[in-house]
Amino acid sequence: MEDAVSQPSPGIGKVISRMHGSTLGQKALMAVSGIALIAFSFGHMAGHLQMFVGAEQYNTYAHFLQSMGGIKWAIRFGLVALTCLHIFSAIQVSMRNRAARPIAYASNKWIVASLGSRTMRASGGIVLFFIGYHILHFTTLTVGTAGFEKIPEYKLINGLLVDDVYRRMVVSFQNPLLALGYIGGVGLLGLHLSHGIQSSLQTLGVLNSAYRPFFKKLGPALAGFLFAGFAIVPLAVLVGIIK
Amino acid sequence: MNLTLKIWRQKDKATPGKFETYDAKDISPDMSFLEMLDVVSERAQANGQEPCAFDHDCREGICGMCSLVINGVPHGPEAATTTCQLHMRKFKDGDNIVIEPWRASAFPVLRDLVVDRSAFDRIQQKGGFVSINTGGTPDGNAIPISKKEADLAMDAASCIGCGACVAACKNASAMLFVGAKVSQYMHLPQGQAERSRRVLAMVEQHDAEGFGACSNFQECEAVCPKEISVRVIAEMNRDYLRAALVGTDA
Repeated sequence: MEDAVSQPSPGIGKVISRMHGSTLGQKALMAVSGIALIAFSFGHMAGHLQMFVGAEQYNTYAHFLQSMGGIKWAIRFGLVALTCLHIFSAIQVSMRNRAARPIAYASNKWIVASLGSRTMRASGGIVLFFIGYHILHFTTLTVGTAGFEKIPEYKLINGLLVDDVYRRMVVSFQNPLLALGYIGGVGLLGLHLSHGIQSSLQTLGVLNSAYRPFFKKLGPALAGFLFAGFAIVPLAVLVGIIK
Repeated sequence: MNLTLKIWRQKDKATPGKFETYDAKDISPDMSFLEMLDVVSERAQANGQEPCAFDHDCREGICGMCSLVINGVPHGPEAATTTCQLHMRKFKDGDNIVIEPWRASAFPVLRDLVVDRSAFDRIQQKGGFVSINTGGTPDGNAIPISKKEADLAMDAASCIGCGACVAACKNASAMLFVGAKVSQYMHLPQGQAERSRRVLAMVEQHDAEGFGACSNFQECEAVCPKEISVRVIAEMNRDYLRAALVGTDA
């Protein structure tokens, strides 16, 4: 039911300043940007799973992404912007939370909070470094590229010569250090999302008494599924299923 | 039973406090926690020491006045129970018990274990009411309210404003309190007229008091002596976003 007395609508500036200045507005921004990044992560995972189909499929897919031109850059800028908003709101909220309890308890106890919820800052921070390394590794080819120089271009069935991204992935993950680092990185992403998925829905007020118990299970389950989907590729390379 | 108490002592708001250790001997397991503190204080007074200050009033678990973080848990180890209704039989002979005040910048310590919770009053004053001219008592059921909605409102209204949610929250957030106060009117027809204004103003005051933001740890729900569910936080979040983004009353 809307209010009985309607008043003139506030300007957009007022809406933005109120949302920006309030804990609920900052949390909502963190939740919305987080959900968008989760959606990207699922798409990214689905892309990776094409490694199991074979070099032709994966290189075709990678070539398709690279040939998107303007759209590719728009998505990249969008992802960077979302990440910045997510981190910015997280820092804002964290600073506020720290200031809210200047004197710590002598005996501090966690009662029900999940491991994921307690480690959001740490897991988020490490995942940020992991993503940074991941981009330097596979996108800009700046680090961890030992062996890449020996990989010739791949000839697709249609005769097109493309980067052999499939081979780069195999060569990289045949290095146990890189594979385990990657699995650790996506593991922390899973830990972050085991709380993040349900927490973002709660923050946006989506959860009611009917949904909450369901999402309390679904959130960690989706996070586990995402982790498994990402981790299975380096594992398959390590044990020689993908070669 | 014999216990060792480590109690936070602080002279006033401005003076830094510290823990002091007290031996609590010959404590009856049938005493409430506050009665145990009464005994310890009386003995201290008899020895010429300053007794320890702590908040209490009804001692029936309904007023919201008692507090105390006991071994790291607001209102102590028993779920859904205020400190005054916690009994010493929940502890073992020889236990060490650490007793601290609620810790939050919005709840400054006034003395020993007593904190200033008037921040809650100021939040309430921003919208935790219905502005109507009261006349004679209205007829019962003149306004139909479904049992389900009435129960949701009543569950939220059972908040006694003790502040345990703030004390338990790692961010010292008062969102369970504000959520309860917002939710209790949200489910009633009488609450609709001021619904948007209420949630905007109360959340704004919550922030202005310096409470933290909700991280959805759900520690508040676990310690709430009235077992208020975090669903009130989701309801408040939803109503706040609706009012702030698409409301006409912002």
